Amino acid sequence: MSVEAIWIKILLFGACREAAGIEELDYQLAPSSTAESAWTELKNRFPDLARFDRSILMAVNEEHTGRDTILSSGDTLAIFPPVSGG
Amino acid sequence: MHDIFEITREPIDKQGLEQRLLTGAAGAMVTFDGVVRNQTKGRPVVTLQYEAYVPMAIKEMERLGREIREKWPDVDRIGMIHRFGELKISESSVVIVITSPHRKVAFEACHYAIDRLKQTVPIWKKEVFADGEEWVEGSQGEITKQTI
Repeated sequence: MSVEAIWIKILLFGACREAAGIEELDYQLAPSSTAESAWTELKNRFPDLARFDRSILMAVNEEHTGRDTILSSGDTLAIFPPVSGG
Repeated sequence: MHDIFEITREPIDKQGLEQRLLTGAAGAMVTFDGVVRNQTKGRPVVTLQYEAYVPMAIKEMERLGREIREKWPDVDRIGMIHRFGELKISESSVVIVITSPHRKVAFEACHYAIDRLKQTVPIWKKEVFADGEEWVEGSQGEITKQTI
């Protein structure tokens, strides 16, 4: 990857965390990568995540966000199923 | 403003929360207490396991607090505590307290608060049955429509 590659932290929660068997990882991505492209890479690494493809929600730096959000170095991307608190 | 938003692993002190929120201005206090039910669709539940994205959950509860104040400016105090970890039957998973000078606002705001909390605050629960376990999936449509 080029010198401009970005590093992000990925957090997984709930059923996604269980399916991947990991709750936190640091990831290197190409510049201007979107949350969606991070998700695609993550699915390649943890194929069990694919079943969440249509339902997952994302947050960048603790704010709900869309999958087309462009990531910057140092961002924390959280990926999780629809919330079910209460 | 002395609203209270907390995520805790410890049992929720409901009375303590109510006392911390009472000011002389309140004429009504409505408390919603969400407790663990012993069955889901007839299948006996042993425990519920809650998981939280704590810093974001606090932020989302604070955001919900601001939303409530915009909709009901007469609200006096808002308190929300959500518990995580393993909970037994009849234990409280979430307590929401709203106070206001008159009852109508407190009832309405409290009802709204629990509905929205279930849509936006990043907390997940897993039902543990005698013969297996299952994550509960929330309704994501609402969150994408109203929050993003």
